[in-house]
Amino acid sequence: MDYDVLLQFATEMGYQLQISGAEIYRVEESVQRVLAAYGASSGEVFAIPNCLTVSVNDPEGRSLTRIRRVGMHGTDIYRLEALNELSRTICSQIPPLPDSISQLETICRDTTAYPFPFQLFAYFLGCGAFGFFFGGNWKDAFSAGICGIVIGLCLPFMEKLKTNLFFKTSVGGFFSALTAFALVALGVGNDADIIIIGALMALVPGIAFTNAIRDIIAGDMVSGISKIAEAILVGVSIALGTAVALWIARLLGVS
Amino acid sequence: MLESLILPCVYAFFASLGFAYLFNIHGFGTVVCGLGGAVGWLAYLLSAPFVHSVIIQSFFAGLAISIFSEIMGRVRKAPVTGYLLVAFFPLVPGGGIYYTMKYCMDGQTDLFISKGLETLGIAGALAAGVVLASSAVRLFTNFHNQRRPSH
Repeated sequence: MDYDVLLQFATEMGYQLQISGAEIYRVEESVQRVLAAYGASSGEVFAIPNCLTVSVNDPEGRSLTRIRRVGMHGTDIYRLEALNELSRTICSQIPPLPDSISQLETICRDTTAYPFPFQLFAYFLGCGAFGFFFGGNWKDAFSAGICGIVIGLCLPFMEKLKTNLFFKTSVGGFFSALTAFALVALGVGNDADIIIIGALMALVPGIAFTNAIRDIIAGDMVSGISKIAEAILVGVSIALGTAVALWIARLLGVS
Repeated sequence: MLESLILPCVYAFFASLGFAYLFNIHGFGTVVCGLGGAVGWLAYLLSAPFVHSVIIQSFFAGLAISIFSEIMGRVRKAPVTGYLLVAFFPLVPGGGIYYTMKYCMDGQTDLFISKGLETLGIAGALAAGVVLASSAVRLFTNFHNQRRPSH
C-alpha cells in the first residue's frame, strides 16, 4: 500500500465532499473511514469551513500530512450523494485503491448541473411561488419570478468577477429590488414589498444557517459559529442592497 | 380551509421545488424536498391556534421539517442535509430582514427594533427545533445500535 497515494485520495475525497456542501462531521468521518478501510487506522482529520488537514503514519512510523484550502463553493447535493455512496461502498467492500480513485474521478468529472436556462426557470418557479406564498396575486407572483431571474443572472456574473459573498448578495438584492420597483411603476406588479420579499428568498442565508446548526449539533463549534457569522453577514448584506434600491426608488418618487 | 391551509402549503411545495433544482437535486428527490417545505409550513399553520406566537410556531415548524428530513434521509439512504436545506426555505425570515431594513430607513425605531428581534427570534427558534429533533433522532439510533451491535 502506497501511503502517499492513499493520503492523496482521502484528501481529494474530503475536499470534494466539502465543496459539495457537506457538513464538517461528514467530511471528517468519511475521510477517517476511508483511511481506516485501507489500513491506515492512525489517520487524523481536521476540517473547518475553509481548510482540510489529513495526516497518517505509515508503517515505518513516518508521518505524512496534506493540507487543502477550501475556497468559496456552492452546494451540489447530487455530487454529495454520489460521494457518500462511494464512501459507503469503500467501507463495506474495500475495493482496490486504483478502482476507488477512478470512481472518484468519474464522480468529479460528471457534470450533472442543470443547464443555465433551466436554472433561470427554477429561479422563476421558486420566487414566483413565494410571491403567491406571501399573499400576492398572480401579477405579484409573476413580477417576483422576473426579479428571481434577475438574481439568477446577477449571481453568476458577480462570481465571474470573483467578488466576495457579501458584495455578491448585496448586488443581487439591489438589482432585484430595483427591478421590482420598476415593474410596479410600469403597472406589471402590484405590491412592491411582496415582490421584493419573494425574490429575496433566493438570497437568504438558509444554507449557511442549516449547515451551522448541523455543525453545532455534531459538536464542531468553530465551524458552526463561523457559519452563523456568515449567515448574519449575508442577512445584513441583503438589507443593505435592498435599502439602496429603496432609497433610489424614493428619490425618483416611485415608492 | 382551502384558502388558509392547503393553498399556502401548495405554494410552499412549488417554492421548495424550484430551489431544489438550484442545489442540483435530481429525480424523485426534488419532490421529497418540495414535500419537506410543505410539511414545515403545515406545522407552522397548524400550531398557530395553540401558541399565538410566530416564534413558537417557527419552533414547531423546525421540529417538523427536521423529523421529516431525518426520516427521508434514512429511507432514501442519502445525506439529511439536502432535504433539510430545501425544506428550510419557506421558513427563513426573508420578510423579517426586509421589513427590519424598511423600518430602519423610515426612522421608525420602535418597529425597527421589535421586527429585528422578531427576525432573530424566528431564526433561533427554527434552530432550536432542528437541534432538538436531530439530537433526539441521534439518541434513538445510538441506543438502537447499542442494543443490537450488528448493523
